[in-house]
Amino acid sequence: MFRLDHLPNARPNETVVLFIRRHWICVFAIAVAFLFLTAVPLALAWFFWPVVSVWFAHPTFGPLMILGASIYFLSIWLFASIEFTDYYLDTWIVTNERIINIEQEGLFHRTASELDLAAVQDTTAEIRGIVQTVLSYGNVFVQTAGEQRRFHFKKIHHPERIKEIITRLVEEDKQRLSGHGKIKTVIK
Amino acid sequence: MFDLPSVSIPVSVFLYVYGAYMVFFLLYSLFNVYHLVRYGVYGFGLYTIVTIFTGGTILLAAGSVFLLMGYDWSAPLSLETILPPASGDGLFPTL
Repeated sequence: MFRLDHLPNARPNETVVLFIRRHWICVFAIAVAFLFLTAVPLALAWFFWPVVSVWFAHPTFGPLMILGASIYFLSIWLFASIEFTDYYLDTWIVTNERIINIEQEGLFHRTASELDLAAVQDTTAEIRGIVQTVLSYGNVFVQTAGEQRRFHFKKIHHPERIKEIITRLVEEDKQRLSGHGKIKTVIK
Repeated sequence: MFDLPSVSIPVSVFLYVYGAYMVFFLLYSLFNVYHLVRYGVYGFGLYTIVTIFTGGTILLAAGSVFLLMGYDWSAPLSLETILPPASGDGLFPTL
């Protein structure tokens, strides 16, 4: 189990500033799909109950229909659960020293990476379209200095605010590091 | 002469297919719970999610078993039960 007060490879005086998950609209989409796929066959069965009840009472078709229905509803439940797990385990943690990016893709692909705030060169917030503008969610891209690598915070709440916080933390981290550099120079 | 409509198989054969699916379902469910417990953030929310998922899975599986227990699984499945008999009183009435 992952604990926010015991981060992996935690550094002295490191504190968690932001713990980010995707916007709630992502969970809402899963819930709507789940309810729709559950409600439609139930509504059809209710509407055509005189016919469906005859099928259920049939000695051979009855059990086959129950088997089919069971597989269908269990599959929907499993699909919704896996999609939710994907959402729940996709996290971005911003501390006063680094950014940790954890991405879950399906059940068997997990990526965890981190980068020092001092290596951040550019931060971009992006809100696209009417839905993202109204619900105030979007993407944040964090570009590192040397490589072509960049972190992508997908569909997060208040991307502009997050971008501002990261920019401020990067500045503070750079000032702190340059302060340490000055001390080292003086000692030499 | 070989008479196709007289060929029949017990309905219980489909239970093997269902059993194979249930093995797949349980494996994926266990992997899912394992990932949640292994990588989820410690707290009340995680316990709630694991409880809801496990409870829902048990409820659906138990409900299916309860409904399936009411049937006679030795009943034969033949073309006669699918196609309309001469009297026209089959599962799918003749047009």
